[in-house]
This record gives sequence, C-alpha cells and structure tokens, in this order.
Amino acid sequence: MRKLSAEVVVIGGGATGVGVARDAAMRGYSTILVERADLAQGTTGRFHGLLHSGGRYVVSDPESATECAEENAIVSRIHADAVERTGGLFVCAPGDDPGFADKFLAGASAQKVPAQEITLSEALRREPRLNPGITRAIEVQDGTVDGWRMVWGAAESAKAHGATVLTYHDVTAIQVEDGHTQAVFCHNRKTGEDVTIDCGFVVNAAGPWAGHVAAMAGCHDVEVVPGRGIMVAMNHRLVNTVINRCIYPSDGDILVPVHTVCIIGTTDHPADDPDHLEIPADEVQQMLSAGEVLIPGFRQSRAVHAWAGARPLVKDHRVSASDTRHMSRGMAILDHDARDGVKGMVTIAGGKLTTYRLMAKNTVDLVSEQLGDNRPCTTDQEPVPTATSGINYTITHRLADREAERPTGPLGQQTPNDLGHQVVCECELVSRGMLVDTIAAHPDAQFDDWRRLLRIGMGPCQGGFCALRTTGIAVERKAMDAAAATALMRLFIAHRWIGLWPILFGAQVRQTVLDSWIFSGLLDLDSVPVPAVPPAFTPPGEAAAAKTATATDKEVAR
Amino acid sequence: MSRTVSSATVVIGAGLAGLTSAIALAKAGQDVTLITKGLGGLTLSQGSIDIWGRTGAGLVTDPAQAVADAPAGHPYAVAGADAVRAGAEALCGWLDGWFEGDLHHTRLVPTAVGAWRPTCLVPAGHTVQPAAGQRWVVVGPRRMKDIQPELIAGNLARTPLPDGGFVRARGVGIDIAARAHEVDSSGVAYARALDEPSFRATFAEAVKAVVHEGEIVALPAILGLNDPEAFADLSKRIGHPLCEIVTPPPSVPGMRLDQALRAYAQQAGVRIVLGAAVLSATTDGDRVVSVDADTAGHVTTYAADAFVLAAGGFESGALEYDSTGTLSETIFGLPVTRAPGAPVVADYWADQPLFEAGLSVDASMRPLGQAGKPVCTNLHAAGGVIGGAVRWREKSGEGIALGTAWAAATAIEEATK
Repeated sequence: MRKLSAEVVVIGGGATGVGVARDAAMRGYSTILVERADLAQGTTGRFHGLLHSGGRYVVSDPESATECAEENAIVSRIHADAVERTGGLFVCAPGDDPGFADKFLAGASAQKVPAQEITLSEALRREPRLNPGITRAIEVQDGTVDGWRMVWGAAESAKAHGATVLTYHDVTAIQVEDGHTQAVFCHNRKTGEDVTIDCGFVVNAAGPWAGHVAAMAGCHDVEVVPGRGIMVAMNHRLVNTVINRCIYPSDGDILVPVHTVCIIGTTDHPADDPDHLEIPADEVQQMLSAGEVLIPGFRQSRAVHAWAGARPLVKDHRVSASDTRHMSRGMAILDHDARDGVKGMVTIAGGKLTTYRLMAKNTVDLVSEQLGDNRPCTTDQEPVPTATSGINYTITHRLADREAERPTGPLGQQTPNDLGHQVVCECELVSRGMLVDTIAAHPDAQFDDWRRLLRIGMGPCQGGFCALRTTGIAVERKAMDAAAATALMRLFIAHRWIGLWPILFGAQVRQTVLDSWIFSGLLDLDSVPVPAVPPAFTPPGEAAAAKTATATDKEVAR
Repeated sequence: MSRTVSSATVVIGAGLAGLTSAIALAKAGQDVTLITKGLGGLTLSQGSIDIWGRTGAGLVTDPAQAVADAPAGHPYAVAGADAVRAGAEALCGWLDGWFEGDLHHTRLVPTAVGAWRPTCLVPAGHTVQPAAGQRWVVVGPRRMKDIQPELIAGNLARTPLPDGGFVRARGVGIDIAARAHEVDSSGVAYARALDEPSFRATFAEAVKAVVHEGEIVALPAILGLNDPEAFADLSKRIGHPLCEIVTPPPSVPGMRLDQALRAYAQQAGVRIVLGAAVLSATTDGDRVVSVDADTAGHVTTYAADAFVLAAGGFESGALEYDSTGTLSETIFGLPVTRAPGAPVVADYWADQPLFEAGLSVDASMRPLGQAGKPVCTNLHAAGGVIGGAVRWREKSGEGIALGTAWAAATAIEEATK
C-alpha cells in the first residue's frame, strides 16, 4: 500500500481532467491526477480533431460560439505544437438553403467570430475537390488539434508546476467522512499496487464515466448520458482546410484534415455504455453519403479507420435552476456540497475539446472559492512545455525531420551512420530513434501507448509493416521478452481491426488482405504461442468497470 | 484501330497460377500469350510451395491427405487431388532440382516473427528442419529493419515442435552495410550485395564472428538474388548449416522463384507481356473472343480460342468489394460468390467470410453463373480469384494455384483435341 497526499485529486485523464490538474497546479495547489488507462484514451482521443472557430454555433448556440472563438486563439497559442491552423470554410451544398449563410454571417458578427464570405471560384481554387455545385462559401478560423498532443502538453505543464500524474490507476473508492471527502483509493493496473491518496478536494472529471465516480462518494443520480458519435478517417487529405456544411448543426456536417488523413464526422446517438461503443453500418453509410455531398467521389476514396467517441452529456435534475453561476453552455459543474451535502467534491462534465481550458478554469475557480483563497487562473498566459517554440504544427514536419537526418555531403564523406535514422513506420515517418526514445521514456507503456505517442501504425497500412519492427525493437531494447511482445503485437493488430472492419471496403480490403498475407501467410503469426495479455492491456474499461462496481459497493458502505 | 495479337490461349496474370497454366499449355504445343498488369504475387511469397499447412485443428502433417480430404466447395475439392499432384510434379520437373520435399510431408521454416511455419516443397538446401535440442543462432543485419534477431530467436525457442521439445535459440545483430552509409536497407539490397563474392566474404566473416561451435545459423532470406552460387558459397564460408528465414515483402526467395519460372515460361515459348492491364472483353454468345489491354502507348487486342483468368484475389485488385457492399470481379464482371451473412466480423482472429469470396468454378475451372452453368465455354479461372479458401490461414496458396492452373490447362487441351 502506497500512501500519497494532495490538496486536489483529479479523477480522469482526458482533456478536462488534465486541464483541471494543470490549472490547479498553476494556482499552487498540490495536485494528483489519476487515470484508469492512458491519458486521452477516452473521449479526448476519439473525436474528429476540430478546433472550433465558433462558426458551428453562431446560429444554434451563440454563447458557445464566442467561447470557442476566444479559446481557439488561446489554445492555438499555448498548445502551438498540437494545433494546425488550417482555416475552415462553411459551404452551402446544392440543395442547402443559401439563406442560412446570411443568418450565419449575422450571428458571426454578433458573436465576434471572425468570418468572411469568399467567392465560389476562390473557394474552389483553395479546395479543388469541393463540390462545384456549392452556392456560398464563408471562411472562418477553424483549426485542427491533436487531442493527444494537447493533453500531453498540458500534463507536462501540470508536472512542471508540481502535479503528479498516475496513469493506469483505477479509482476503487472515495472515502467520505463527516460529509467531507478524505481520500481516494486507487489500484495500479500495471503493478497491482494499491494506492491511497489523502486529499482535501476531489474533482471528478471522468467524462462519460463521471456518474460512476460520483456514486463512489455517495453522490447519486449524476446522470451522464454518453452521446455516441462515429468518425471515419479517409487515407489522405481530400481537403486541406476544415470543410463545414453551412446548415443548422447536423450529422456528417464536417470534414477535418488532421495529420495525413481527413476525418468526416459525426453522428449523435445515446449509448448505454461508454466502454462499448458501436460503429453501426448504417451510420458509416450516412457518413460516406454526407462526404459525397461535400466532395464528389468521396465513396471511391479509401476509408482507413473508423472510431466512436462518447460525448459526456449531463442530464442532472437535481441542479437547481439558480445554480448556473459556474455553468456554461455545454458544460456542467456540479457542486456536490450544495447538491448532495458532500464537501470537497465537484463533478465537471460536458463541453468541447476546444473549450477544455475554460472548463478547467471555471472548475478550479469553484474549487479555489471553496478552499477559501480565490487564487487567480493563469493557464492562458503560459505555453505548455512542448509548445514553447510557438510554432504551430505543420503536416510536413516529420518529413523535414527525416530529411534533416539524411546523410549529407559527397559520397564517402557523409555524416556518421546512425541506426536511429531507420524509418520504422513509413506511413507516419516514425524513425527508430523516436521509437527507442519513447520506449526508454515510457518503460511501462505498451504498443497502443506508443501508437498514440508516435502515431505508429496509424497510417494507410494500419501496422502491416511497422507492427513487426516495433515488436522486434521492443525485444531488442529489452523492454519486454518475445512472448509478451508477441502477445502485444497480436493485441495491437486485433485493436486496429476494431476500427477497420466497420469500414472495410474498396482499397482498404486490398490493404487488409495484403496485411493478412504478411501477418498470417508469410509470418504465421497466428501460430506463435502467446501468454495471456496482462489486465492493464485489456480494452479500456472491460476489466476495470466490473472491478469498480464491486469496490464501490463495499467501500461506500464503510 | 488497335493492334491484334492472336494466340491459342491468353492467360491473364503472372503469378504461380498464370505461369503454371501458360507453361503447361505451351509445353503441350499451344501458342500462349500471358498478359499481366504487374509482377505476379510470387515476388511477395515465401518462395516455397504451400499445399496445406494449417487447419482450425492445428498443424497438417500430411498435406496430400488434407487435399484429398478437402471439404466440398474448397478449390481443392473442385480441382481434385490429381490435378494438385500433377501440377506440383510438373513444377518440380520444370525447375529441376529447385525444390526438395514431397507432398505427404510438412516442412517447417522459421519466419521473421519467430514462428515455425508449415510449408511443403522448399528451395533445396536453403532450410534446416528443426529438432528438439538443436542449438540455433539467428543472425541479422541491424540495418535491415524487417529482421529482429532477438524476437525471432525468442519465439523459435518457445514454440513447441510437432514431435515435442524445443530448439534452443539466441539472436544476434551484426553491423554490416549493404551499401555504404545506408542504415535502412531492404532485403533486396542485401541480396544484390550478396551476389558479389567480395561482399559475401565480408558478410561471412561478420556472421562467423558471432556464431558458436555446433550452432545452426538462421539468416534472413537474403542470401543472393541472381547468383545461384551465392547460398552454397556462403554456406561454405560460414561453415555451419544455414537456414533462410521468411521475411516480410519484398521476399527474395519469392523473387528468385518468380525470375526462374518466368524465364522457363519464355523458354517454353510463352509470350509474356508486362504492363498490360485488361480494359475490356469482347464476347460472342457464350464465348470470349478477345480482350483489350492497355499496353505501352496503345490498346492491344488479344484474341484467342481460350482464356485463363489468373489475376489473383483482392490483393491484386482482381476482386473488389465497394462501399455499397457490392462484390465484383473486375476484368470480366463475373459473378462472385460469398457466404451469406456479415462479410466481416468483429473478432480479428475469427474466420472472415469476405476473404473466402471468389469465383465458383466447374471441374474445368470455368466460372459459373446463374443456375450453376459456366458463364463462357472457353473462359477458365485459376489461383486466387477462385473462392472457397482463406489461403493465408491454410497455407494453401501455391497448392491451389498449381491444382487449379493444371485443371484449367488440362481442360483447355482437351477442348482443343
């Protein structure tokens, strides 16, 4: 049993939780964040990558629009390395009401969302694949953001300000005594160690799982309804700016260029369990048809991966109508003192990735007020450690890095050989050096963690070539033995399949068959005996959810 | 006006199925033209001949028996065990001395993930059969990223052999550049370098330096591409039994076999036209009259009495499954058969019905249409385009190619008599 203590414990390592941890740490509170899997493995890592300009909400939700516009500028600055300033267009497709564009422009003006109508010829010059039948086009300041990079940047910042981040830690119980939270009990899924954190305040930022966490402290009926949305990534950038349908917010109305792919999203359906999100065939068809409206020929392009994320939509009937001071549109902060008589605990849920920092600020404002010292928020002032250069992400950065590593000078007088310059993953231009450094820096990590850190295996071949190399290098670096590495390679391939089989058509069938010939036909991977995969590597939540439920019943009764 | 080339038979596709049927017909005296969009699948293959290596129940020890017992609907059941045996025997005769082994025994070859992979006929002298207690050392150049010796050795040593027991194995990386200053070389770059005796000497010294007395040396399958003496020379220089490890593509043993078989086909009189993608087919009633192919600078019409479609499966683009769920054969538009129900399922390791999809054929390998009748009387299929098997799981690709190609060629010969 390990004993720790902190003034503030944050539960949940998504954008919101990490944002809260960073904010609290920057205000000088000793802070520990616990996350049951890797950072940004839930909703934060499962969205389309859009950094909203606010345009999407200028008609439907004006306050959100203004918040997005303000936060877009801040996030682009403090998370420069995670944000690509692609710009965006709102276009009226054939059949859409061109009059909506007038409402849009009026709303944008009123909400201070920068927007300007451009000529159709200019729009088509910028994005030649756009449907030539569009009737209006408005440019906005949409960007794209890598949710993982953003969260890691914020986590690094939090750590630099003294916070501790514990990943792969399940919260098993929250101790409440005399109406005040006392401690958070955790279980390290990798080492099996139990950890007790004595604390003064608990921030529940577990997103779609927030209801379970609140219940652990005896705060019941926090109803977070997971709103499931699917995304489909096409294997290259059909567009280089964010393309939005200029209509009232709907399904399949955005196409977002992120890294080497572009992503169409999304849908919205209530889900029962955020750990088991479906990617229904009819919704995939809906996305493809929606893509076809924006980009003729979209269906003939290659879909490379699909995934589903769960929006944490709070439906709380106990929040009184007057309790809106710390509420903002789309985000809900539940004060469990007022609501349940439990002091030292708030739940934050809802919101958007774009406004994660603002959500964190509002939450920690409340925490700080309850702790009685009202310390000011400074999170908008300081770039995170990974973004100190101030240079925004560009699609070509890895190509530039790899080119810089090439031997230079005349033959025979080149720079010394460096095995680190081997390209392990050609699709995403990941070098052996990057992989070896990552393995060394994250000794507890496994393949899916490395994938999120490096984007290894996320390109068109979906691990067909790099999975074997990564496995071999992990063994060679003694990060794990052949048995464990092979088990994880098989798990990695099976995990990739989760996002492949729902969109398996066209050229991706050909790629998958080639990969099958490699993995099974040539290598005979199917036959290598493998040990059971450690529990920490099972798909998010499967083992954890069951364990949490049992522990909750026991510990809360205490 | 397009140019027209007339032949007795036109074969489409340059993989093992296409080459086998073309050679068989040419050897029978026919004028054969083989047209192909690209290089055949042999260049990506492991270079050995699979017959049937694995079933759901595990390792197949007698491949010929498995072929004879093939379930109805499997390409082996349609082509027949005799055609498979005849095709394999013919291949071994054409490339005299190339292969060793027989159809009743499974051989094991090590792979780049460290599996003992079952196959049947192997390149003569290039493999060592594992036995319990043997000491193996896996040696790989660090600059070749598709070979990771520690992983391979670790898995080879922990995988039980069919007769029980394990080999002992260790992995060692060596630093040797195929090309000066290159840290990221493919197996082909090494194979070409090893065609040179001077590099072979350097390479052999580097290997010898890490090998212990009494060890069997497993090296990636890069031991020479064009020089047939390279393997024997390295073997002599290193002075230990050598065994080649199956690598991800590009696969050097597959390229060797492809080169040898294409050269043999040309010697046998087959006219091979590379870079000829078929654009369309002309039919007259129930016969194919000709196909138009996109050849350098112009369209060429290839007319023939018989046609063999040996263009492969999904991997080559001969079969397609589009976003609306339509399955198609892309050259002739032949009906594609697949099992009813979901094409793919959520469990990666389960059987995926889509990958068994393909043409249904009669005993003459003619694709069937409505009511089980051949679509055309003179159109035959061979190899990966035929449905009913997941070849990579079964380790049956070459055997199906040989059996169906032989059956197609036999039917064409008989039809012309």
